[in-house]
Amino acid sequence: MKKIVRKIFFVWEYEKEEQWLNEMSKEGWELVKASFRKYQFESGIPNEYTIRLELLDKSLNSKESTSYLNFLKETGIEMVGECKQWIYLRCKTADGGFEPNNRALYNLTHVLKIQEFISKTKNRLVALIAISMCGLLIMNHLEPSNFADFISGVCTGIALSTSIVTLSFYPFSKRTNEKVKAAINELYTCE
Amino acid sequence: MINNENKVLTEAVFYTLLALYSPLHGYGIMQETEKMSNGRLKLSAGTLYGAISTMLDKHWIKALPSEEESRRKEYRITELGKSIVKAELARLEELVENGKKIIE
Repeated sequence: MKKIVRKIFFVWEYEKEEQWLNEMSKEGWELVKASFRKYQFESGIPNEYTIRLELLDKSLNSKESTSYLNFLKETGIEMVGECKQWIYLRCKTADGGFEPNNRALYNLTHVLKIQEFISKTKNRLVALIAISMCGLLIMNHLEPSNFADFISGVCTGIALSTSIVTLSFYPFSKRTNEKVKAAINELYTCE
Repeated sequence: MINNENKVLTEAVFYTLLALYSPLHGYGIMQETEKMSNGRLKLSAGTLYGAISTMLDKHWIKALPSEEESRRKEYRITELGKSIVKAELARLEELVENGKKIIE
């Protein structure tokens, strides 16, 4: 039996997303395909697979990512879906799942990768705000016309919506910083 | 080269280096490690991949030439890698010796 679920998770909700996918797996719904907002499941043995979300360093088709995915495949980990550089991996739960040998180090790497991704996105958003503000200033200095009004409107719209998105990242940044510090503290005592 | 930077190897790295005294591919390293540690240490694929790329950069291990680029690669320890293992072994012996002296 097949089932398609449409659901939205934001980038910073990756833990929630992973948890949800693993709960589905426990109920016997195996993830067979995933892309943005769309998850395809097939009924199977409950808890046969464990799902993990990972963020690749380079694009999916790059040499580095291909060699990484080949390596994973060799050890029984398959990629079942992708959304830009995010990949959905599954591994037989009986094989030990994805449990890393060094939890603190794993958390640190994972969080830093996500932080890098977020800060890149944030930089782009800030650039977009700056450009639309410039557009707005220039339009204000032009003779009033329908065209100038229209462009000003568009610029204001972009600047406002982008600002809201950018601000919504802040609580997330704070949380990731705390996670980084916690992982480093852990590394002081244990491998 | 001696381990003059006072390095402490992780368990995963130590066992991987030991396993690579004979050529093995990634999955082989995982199996060999599990065997050597009597099932105690199961390397996760992510950990092993990270360890292998770092050790390649440090020239502790080398990838053996393979015919096809994308096929699974085999690795082997280098002379530098062997010296790192020896230094680590000496450090571990010191730990064990001192531990025994105090506790027993």
